[in-house]
Amino acid sequence: MAEIPDRISPLDGLFEPGDFGAVTNSPGVEYSQRLCGALVQVQAWPGTTGKVEAVLKQVLGLPVPKARLAHMKDETILMSTGPGRWLVDDEMEGLEEKLRKALPSDLGALTGLTHARVVISVSGEKAEWVLSSGIAMDFHVNAFPGGGVQLGHHHEIGVTIHRLGANHFELYAFTSLAHGLWHWLTHAGAEVGYRVT
Amino acid sequence: MKITCPYCGERDHREFTYRGDATAIRPSIDNTSLDDHQAFVYDRKNTAGTHRELWNHTSGCRTHVVVVRDTVSHEIFSCEPVGPFAKQLARNVAKLKGAGA
Repeated sequence: MAEIPDRISPLDGLFEPGDFGAVTNSPGVEYSQRLCGALVQVQAWPGTTGKVEAVLKQVLGLPVPKARLAHMKDETILMSTGPGRWLVDDEMEGLEEKLRKALPSDLGALTGLTHARVVISVSGEKAEWVLSSGIAMDFHVNAFPGGGVQLGHHHEIGVTIHRLGANHFELYAFTSLAHGLWHWLTHAGAEVGYRVT
Repeated sequence: MKITCPYCGERDHREFTYRGDATAIRPSIDNTSLDDHQAFVYDRKNTAGTHRELWNHTSGCRTHVVVVRDTVSHEIFSCEPVGPFAKQLARNVAKLKGAGA
């Protein structure tokens, strides 16, 4: 396999630390970004879902989450993103190769997305309010509880949202469209004040 | 207009892509009639009223669904999963209804 190039954030140069917008005592929302060590999509074939779940459990040491949920352990996040489909986020590089060895292609398909997504963390008292202003889905904790995963979009920019807690979300955004999403987040956060860290 | 995806729950229709008339049946590959193939590709009834149609949740879980919709009022009567994961998704629909999503 060819050597993987260094990871470069599409938001480098735009992500300027500081307080912006209507910050009085404390910002309503805080933004930060991170790049995954490894991000892999796993798709089972029809009829192999159970076998793929067993492989994921064995390799990751995590129980496989039910629909629209995520499980976390140490620096690994396993998210259920569709029927027979999961997204695995790991801080350590090499996850893709480990999964490829354990998961033969007759059980499912692996897609490496490490360089295709950037993760934007949105947290703070107004995080839900900010996201609700531009993403048409029900963010109420009853519909989207902590530990939940939802896929949606903001004006055609697809985004996978992992809710870590009541006021903390991680947005997995396409690197090629991350500029647009970030632009919106800065405008949406300005009204309540936002801090970039 | 809101469509209840069998995996993701109720979502705005802009997350979905219209994939066409679900009542149109592709002619058999052995059928060499150009008229039959022409009818499958082009002829539509353009129903004013209840209509079965295919949608794909392109901005979500990418599941194909059959939506029964009133083309006049846009009221949606049902949304059922189709394809190889349909049975798995049907079980999820029951859970979504139980959760009130």
